[in-house]
Amino acid sequence: MRHQTLVSAVVVSVVIAIAMAATSSVAGQSAPLEKPRAVAKAVAPTKAYAPPKTPDGQPDLQGFWTNSTYVPLERPNNVTKEFYTKEEAEAAMKRAAERESEQTEPGTTADVHYDFTQFGLDRSQSTFATSFRTSQVYDPPDGKVPPMTAEGQKRVQERNAARKTAGGQYDDVKNMPIGSRCIIMGGAGPPLQNAGYNANYQIVQGAGYVMILTEMIHDARIIPIDNRPAPPSGVRQWTGISRGHYEGNTLVVETTNFNGKNPFRNGSENMKVIERFTRVADDAIEYKFTIDDPSTWTRAWSAELPLVKTGGPIFEFACHESNFGIANILAGAREDEKKAAGQKKGSSN
Amino acid sequence: MRMKLVAASVGVCVLLGASHAWAHHAFAAEFDVNKPLTLKGSLVKWDMVNPHSWFHVNVKGPDGKVVEWLVEGGSPNQLIRMGVTKTTVPIGTELTIEGYQSKDGTNKAVGRNFVLADGKRLFLGGSAGSVSDPSKIK
Repeated sequence: MRHQTLVSAVVVSVVIAIAMAATSSVAGQSAPLEKPRAVAKAVAPTKAYAPPKTPDGQPDLQGFWTNSTYVPLERPNNVTKEFYTKEEAEAAMKRAAERESEQTEPGTTADVHYDFTQFGLDRSQSTFATSFRTSQVYDPPDGKVPPMTAEGQKRVQERNAARKTAGGQYDDVKNMPIGSRCIIMGGAGPPLQNAGYNANYQIVQGAGYVMILTEMIHDARIIPIDNRPAPPSGVRQWTGISRGHYEGNTLVVETTNFNGKNPFRNGSENMKVIERFTRVADDAIEYKFTIDDPSTWTRAWSAELPLVKTGGPIFEFACHESNFGIANILAGAREDEKKAAGQKKGSSN
Repeated sequence: MRMKLVAASVGVCVLLGASHAWAHHAFAAEFDVNKPLTLKGSLVKWDMVNPHSWFHVNVKGPDGKVVEWLVEGGSPNQLIRMGVTKTTVPIGTELTIEGYQSKDGTNKAVGRNFVLADGKRLFLGGSAGSVSDPSKIK
């Protein structure tokens, strides 16, 4: 870790994130966590980190970053505190890495997959961020996403009913999940979410704009920072429409105008996402987000996800062009139908 | 890493590997859990394409006839970042692939395990050196 300063208790929990390269073939091995500095909770910063500036004076957030982490969004049920100790954090990370590389039972559905470890796709083989946080959600203080409103629950039921009306998942390509169809995946956000693998981002800042490129699956969010108003409510996009501004060294991005086709945790198209990016070290950005969607959740809620420096470049993820899985899946479904029809015919004879 | 090879023909195909569920689509919809198989052959082509790479393998059948199989594997992006290239697994490499055949009965399979001639698992990630280091990109 190159940064040596303490900023605040919350910052400390993120700053401990270590951009590490675990090259071992054994999942779960990783660089040890830095000695915890959460004890500095009440300590005022002695020397705040001063981020470099871009030529036009923005706090420099540029570079390649990853939010790959074993910290879960919600706090595990058996955990009641906001931060682990160093030993607890290491143990939790080790358990998660071991689960990720566990063996599957031959002949089971879960086994029908290529081995992720062989292809370097389990998180511990890549740069990933560590944190003492027990959950990404820090508000509400219980570390859980708040309960859904009655309206939110009704919307979920209606969405499920609409899916059933449309037929089986493999009846039509349009019934398949949008990730499978290479339209968009969860990591793009907003909010930025850990995509599991290839969880990488590139931030580029130009005069008046910030661009966030998401590797999975090659989505670029272009954010004006010139205080222009949000567009009319009729203009809607998959990743919403973002507007940014700076509060000190923090980039604050507000996103509205979602099209509702890619709902984050079943949120509504009227969801507002407020993201805060603060460079807290050469190799770490504190990334926080708040979800404000009164028609879905009983209160606004906030989370913090480590974002640490990783290597570039980001390679194009030309998902759609080589998505042979779609055709294979549909062909497989038709084959299943033929078999089922044959069995039905056989049993009626 | 535990691993055992057992002929699929006897219906006991012990396939051991990672169980992680991160994927961009459900593989059990594409491949048949009731059609486990073991393929032995030589690599003729590796399509390093997203979202999933495809290994083309020439497999000699019991009748001596060589048939090309397509075997689905992982996304190349992470591998490239680790320094893996198309030539990391040279054409002609002898592979034993344990997996499941496609539901439509064509010569396609998902590669549960890729095993080299010396019995070692093909381990692309760990064999490639440090990650997130641009200098590793060849």
